[in-house]
Amino acid sequence: MKHISIAYLLILFLVGAITFRLSAAPGNDECLNCHEALDGKVQTPAIAFKNDVHHAAGITCAGCHGGNSSVSDMEEGMDKKKGYTGIPSTKERYVLCVKCHAEKKAMQSFGYRGSTEQFEKLKSSVHFKNSYNDQGPIADCITCHGAHGILGAKNPQSRVHPTKIVQLCGNCHSDPSYMQKYNPGLPVDQVMKYRTSIHGVKNAKGDTRTAQCVSCHGNHEIYSVKDPRSAVYNLNIAKTCSHCHSDTVLMAQYNIPANQYKKYQKSVHGIALLEKGDAAAPSCNGCHGNHAAILPGAESVSKVCGTCHAFNMELFEQGPHKTAFNIKKIPECESCHGNHGIEPVTDEFLGTSSRSFCISCHQAGDNGYKTAAEMKQLLDTLTASKKNADQYLDIAERLGMDVTDEKYALKNMKQLLIKVRTSVHVASLGKFKEEIAPGFEIVKDAETHGRKSIENYYFRRKGLMVSTVIVSILVGLLYLKLKRIEKEDRA
Amino acid sequence: MQKEQPKKQEPVTGKPKSSLMQWLDERYNLSALREFAKKKSVPKFRETIWYYFGGIALLLFVVQVITGILLLMYYKGTEDIAYESVRFIDAKVNFGWLIRSVHSWSANLMILSIVIHMFSVYFLKAFRKPRELTWYTGIALLLISMAFGFSGYLLPWNELAYFATKVGTDIVGQVPFVGKFMLTLMRGGEDVTGATLSRFFGFHVALFPGIFVIFLTLHLLFIQRQGISEPDDWAQKEEKEKKTIPFFPNFVLRELLIWLIVINILAILAVYFPWELGNKADSFAPAPQGIKPEWYFLFMFQVLKYIPGKIWMINGEIIGILFFGLAGLLWIIVPFWDVKLKPGYRNRVITYTGLGILAFIIVFTIIAFIAG
Amino acid sequence: MNDEIKTGKSRREFLNDVIVGGVSAWLLAILYPVISYLDPPKSKQVKVSQVNIGKSSDFEINSGKIIRFGEKPVLVIKKSNGEYAAFLAECTHLNCTVQFRKDLGQIYCACHNGKYDLNGKVASGPPPAPLTKYDVAIKGEEVIVFKGEG
Repeated sequence: MKHISIAYLLILFLVGAITFRLSAAPGNDECLNCHEALDGKVQTPAIAFKNDVHHAAGITCAGCHGGNSSVSDMEEGMDKKKGYTGIPSTKERYVLCVKCHAEKKAMQSFGYRGSTEQFEKLKSSVHFKNSYNDQGPIADCITCHGAHGILGAKNPQSRVHPTKIVQLCGNCHSDPSYMQKYNPGLPVDQVMKYRTSIHGVKNAKGDTRTAQCVSCHGNHEIYSVKDPRSAVYNLNIAKTCSHCHSDTVLMAQYNIPANQYKKYQKSVHGIALLEKGDAAAPSCNGCHGNHAAILPGAESVSKVCGTCHAFNMELFEQGPHKTAFNIKKIPECESCHGNHGIEPVTDEFLGTSSRSFCISCHQAGDNGYKTAAEMKQLLDTLTASKKNADQYLDIAERLGMDVTDEKYALKNMKQLLIKVRTSVHVASLGKFKEEIAPGFEIVKDAETHGRKSIENYYFRRKGLMVSTVIVSILVGLLYLKLKRIEKEDRA
Repeated sequence: MQKEQPKKQEPVTGKPKSSLMQWLDERYNLSALREFAKKKSVPKFRETIWYYFGGIALLLFVVQVITGILLLMYYKGTEDIAYESVRFIDAKVNFGWLIRSVHSWSANLMILSIVIHMFSVYFLKAFRKPRELTWYTGIALLLISMAFGFSGYLLPWNELAYFATKVGTDIVGQVPFVGKFMLTLMRGGEDVTGATLSRFFGFHVALFPGIFVIFLTLHLLFIQRQGISEPDDWAQKEEKEKKTIPFFPNFVLRELLIWLIVINILAILAVYFPWELGNKADSFAPAPQGIKPEWYFLFMFQVLKYIPGKIWMINGEIIGILFFGLAGLLWIIVPFWDVKLKPGYRNRVITYTGLGILAFIIVFTIIAFIAG
Repeated sequence: MNDEIKTGKSRREFLNDVIVGGVSAWLLAILYPVISYLDPPKSKQVKVSQVNIGKSSDFEINSGKIIRFGEKPVLVIKKSNGEYAAFLAECTHLNCTVQFRKDLGQIYCACHNGKYDLNGKVASGPPPAPLTKYDVAIKGEEVIVFKGEG
């Protein structure tokens, strides 16, 4: 009898265990069973949850809300003493997600082998700062992924699917009254601009390969543009764009080249930004814009360059090239300097040599050709005589003469040469001569001073020689005198 | 000064008096002065050469006064423009480079000749009775010269000088009891700052010259009064055996010859080895490589480096300072502990001690130079 | 005999004369540098702690000029309200020399279109930091630029 009762208990236990295990399987969630059948507010989550990835993985309502999903009795299932928590507070609801999603083992037990770092990333992002009403983070897991009816990111119906995500981010970021509570300086027109860009247009048509918000900003690890960790920080943005734009296979699908980043890296701008760390140097977005990324057209390219190279643009517009280029419809700056791979400018670009920009339009004999040749010759003369003056000053300095003032004057030459070289853009010989004239004077002065210092150095030695000769003769004479006196003394 | 010497000699050598000399003679009785000078003589023996070094030091002091006054016309002793004003003298003022270089070189040669003068007096035992006071005033003149050198070194306000002054005053600060006070007194505060520069400038151009001239006057007066010291083995010589040369004009002419050569050496040094200015002092900059004091402090500087940080509970540096202080004191009071032996016997203790000290100074100075 | 003495005497006189000549030449060699040293050089004496840039009335309102301050160029501006401002005229971007632009009422760097306001703060363009400030004082009529503490 006793054995039987033990066996009975054992069976009961086994059955209980199996039932409990089964309660994790869909269909046996008693909470869902009831709530599905209810109406209104209490029904919506239940219906949504039926499509949820978590539901498919066998997680019941109790998995987040606590209580017991396996009993049909409402009182018992939703007993607060047994751990039922009801609707989690917005302040701490993310904890429920993190409980599993930050734990590799827990995720593996559901057959998931992907990243578990989402929370770590989110924690440091701008979104996880405390909200103004102290209602928890500004944005947590649920803000973007939703609560019930969470779908895999690759599911086209998911809120975070590439075709949906723009709308999702825009929920907050396009709402001026909401955004100004956090960052009044931040624009709210990103989505609008984005939709005008080629990225946005294609995205709207359902192309999942073009860039959308998270392609550039990241998803969980979103930082301020001014944060060096951000993928859109000025020093990082070229690399970020290159993820797609250097992908030859992907770019081939759109029939566009994939060498811009490579060219850019070696350009003046790329070197300034990536090697010298000059955060002010333009990256991709400096010319193409960011959300409304476009290709600057032939007419506007000089305006784009002119935002920084204002003086060059101003001068260019004063000169004869402006009209000529407009008539011929040639892009202004770009036709000489190129675009992504802009080379550091050298004086060789002026004049009539094979590297010159001028000879691509001008031919031997025409006025422009002559002007170019003359400008080049003047510039060459100045740089050569500057070198010459430098040498004189160096020699003088090596000889121990002080030429600080002249070196200071030559330092100003750097500024002057920038001005002279810039004045080439006006393409007027008169203006060019006007700019270059003071340079010749400075160089001449420096050279004269250098020469004089060197002469002075030798003058010192000559003077010393003269005085040594005088002293030697005097010493000799005095010696003679002394001998004579001594002779007289003896006598 | 250079002006006067050659003129003075003329009435003596040129027997026919010029009318100017006659004019002066009538009024100031120059012939009496000449007679007096004629009586003076300098002993002539193996070591006569050393008798010239006092005169060389005197010449160099005069050069210092003249070039110093000239430098004062352009130098500005304040922190923010001291360096620039020296650079200005070097670069812009006509012959400014020459005046500054001569001042610097002459300072060093002056200390060198004083040191040689001192050692020659020591080895010739010229400090003995009755010339003790001449010895003490001479020592005072050396010490003031070193103080001149130390204070003048800082005036261009360049990097090396700044740090050398820092280290030098630090060492003074280690002196027991009075060190701390002396340090603040010298620096004009806790640190080497513009206040230190102002003080050093004041010491260099006002205080030290005044004291120096007082001691120099006494030193020369003593010599004048007692005559020039004779070698100690002359005491038992007969008057006939003592070879002398007349002080005037013979010795003076020789001295003059040497002075001419020394001045020319100064010019050569100034032209071929102009005194460098270096970089402006910056108290926030790290100490540059190879800070060292002027060469005459080098041996002490080097020895202090070898003394361990702690010797029985006592700071090693203090021991070093006490050692040098004591040694210096013993050296100064040599007329007291010197035992005069019977005539004809040489006091070898004095000679060997002197040689030992000389060797010590030379060896450590050389080591310091090699160590850089 | 007499002749010999005579020649000896004249020889001695000759020697004396030559010595006097030699000493005079030597004195000239010494006095020349000393006297030319006393002649003050034409260029102005150094004064780096402050630079006097002339009369206030000579300085046009709403204009700027570049002066040399030691080894550095300094831009001095007389604002439209008559107040002065001075800055190190080196752009904080790539060290080009900046200028005051009357038309903009701003400090402008022609190299990359950097602009600073009249407090030296970056108004637009690539400069990463504001311009270094110098101080200006008016002593009577004279305008003096100096480097303030800190």
